[in-house]
Amino acid sequence: MKINRRKLLSLIGVSPAVLAGSPALADDKKKKNGKAASHGPEKIEVLNPKGMPPAVQLVPMAPRLDTLEGKTVFLVSDGFAGADRFLNQIAIWFQKNMPSVKTVYRLKAGSYFDDDPKLMAEIKASGNAMIMAYGH
Amino acid sequence: MQVEKMGFPTAPLVTIAFKDLAKSNAASRGMPLERVCFLPHPMTNKSDEEMYKVLEGNDPVTNKPLMPEIIAALTQPLTADEKKTGTISPDIGPPTYVGTQDELQRLYCDNNLTDFMPIILPTEEKVEAMLKGTSHKPDEVIGKLSAAQGAQPSWTFTVRHVAINAVMAGASPEHLPVILAISSTGQPSLFSSTSSFSRMVMLNGPISDQIKMNYGIGAMGPFAEPNAVIGRAWTILSKNLGGCGVPGLSYLGTLGSNFNYNNLCIAETENRLPDGWKPFHVQKGFKADESVVSIFSGWSLNNVAWFPNMPYHELIKNWLTHFFSFGTTAATLLLDPTIAREAKEKGFNSKEELSDYWSKNSKTPAWLYWDQHQRELKQGQQGVEPYASYLKMGDGEIPFQRFYRRGRPGGPVDANPKSSIEIIVLGGETNTYWAGGDFSYVTSASIDKWR
Repeated sequence: MKINRRKLLSLIGVSPAVLAGSPALADDKKKKNGKAASHGPEKIEVLNPKGMPPAVQLVPMAPRLDTLEGKTVFLVSDGFAGADRFLNQIAIWFQKNMPSVKTVYRLKAGSYFDDDPKLMAEIKASGNAMIMAYGH
Repeated sequence: MQVEKMGFPTAPLVTIAFKDLAKSNAASRGMPLERVCFLPHPMTNKSDEEMYKVLEGNDPVTNKPLMPEIIAALTQPLTADEKKTGTISPDIGPPTYVGTQDELQRLYCDNNLTDFMPIILPTEEKVEAMLKGTSHKPDEVIGKLSAAQGAQPSWTFTVRHVAINAVMAGASPEHLPVILAISSTGQPSLFSSTSSFSRMVMLNGPISDQIKMNYGIGAMGPFAEPNAVIGRAWTILSKNLGGCGVPGLSYLGTLGSNFNYNNLCIAETENRLPDGWKPFHVQKGFKADESVVSIFSGWSLNNVAWFPNMPYHELIKNWLTHFFSFGTTAATLLLDPTIAREAKEKGFNSKEELSDYWSKNSKTPAWLYWDQHQRELKQGQQGVEPYASYLKMGDGEIPFQRFYRRGRPGGPVDANPKSSIEIIVLGGETNTYWAGGDFSYVTSASIDKWR
């Protein structure tokens, strides 16, 4: 017995509009018209969703010192737990191994991505180099 | 890098867990060859002696002795590459992609352009249809977005960019003004922190009914299209328009948060607020008939199903006393209208009155208080009041009210701090339940501006 698919599916609440969009139904229609069904995938063109990252201006690095002997090195903590203790160990290392190096400990003000103009001015006035610690 | 720009050599130290982030951060700031030296991870739990041994050991990346490497970072002459200047323009790929639907779904997914669920592919036709949802021109620059402002690069984006991402999320043109408003805040849904931030986004005003947001039964669940796609769109656009969500580079959340899929996209149940209780956006200075989106930031939410032998406002006060999370000085309470109604019957004529009551009457567990107040602990041990009396309270509750906006640590203290507890009313009144979490209010934006 031939089953009327449209009637059967409508009895279970499937809209005829869904049937019209059914690939299988589309194939049946094509076969009725005498044409073979095509299953080749179509290619489409879609848009890149990305925004605009900033261009990067290369920043030349500062000239290096000939030596640290006799120089002032700022040891700057970015505020992460333990950074102050680690920098203190660096100060102890210099005292033991390079006693002519003067170390100055500072905690950078604000959060880890805030600028600290006061500290920058102090380094400019009295420092020669900086060691900063640390990301966790 | 500021110090290098001043003309002084630096040696930044970073633990190895952040090796890729440190290098990409240096590159994005213009110093790709910054002389970063690496340490083992983690460092925070090492004793002083162990830390000294790290100095006597090797850099875990280069395997070279660490202290000589730090000294060389400051003294070894610059190479020709380190002296280079100029501009580098990042490559974001071609303006379009061509392929079958399956190929394109795979391409977007494999390139972290989605939330790893299938998307609506953004054809020109679909984006043009989406743009009909706003009167703003497609090329209008909306603003900047970054995974962590100040620490990560800020990307620029337009109305058209947002429309493309809105299509991907499955949004309709009527949702676009909301998504544009969210993007206009400059807040990413995927913040870079290791702590795995979550976000919440809430709609107020006529927009909620206009686009059929669900704020009844299942208000925080997957039960209405706008609730689903708007929250989703924020995550997808954060990735593509702000460079957010690249694990190890712009996203470091060690556990991650499942909230990031939808960002707790909700609408307040304004038509069931008790008399005198203002909608959230009105509390923040908007008019009742304005459509507004508000952003909250936090980490966690307790969904509390509990029938107390006390009024709910007392139960929640006790919950606030013992609630502990990363953020211990702010909270947001989401109350079913039945709970709000009971609070009104108990005499709280506004959200502000209830919020003030909670801030004033909640306390702090002794263990938490002393953990956060080490200086006060020493003072208490020396007999300084009130800390000495607090110590005598033992392991109980210290009468310290946490939930006030007192100002940033190290900054000026607010003499008249306001309550940091926000209240939102939503839900379908099928039971007297509520949720509380460490979310704090960030900002609001007009949706009407983007219609």
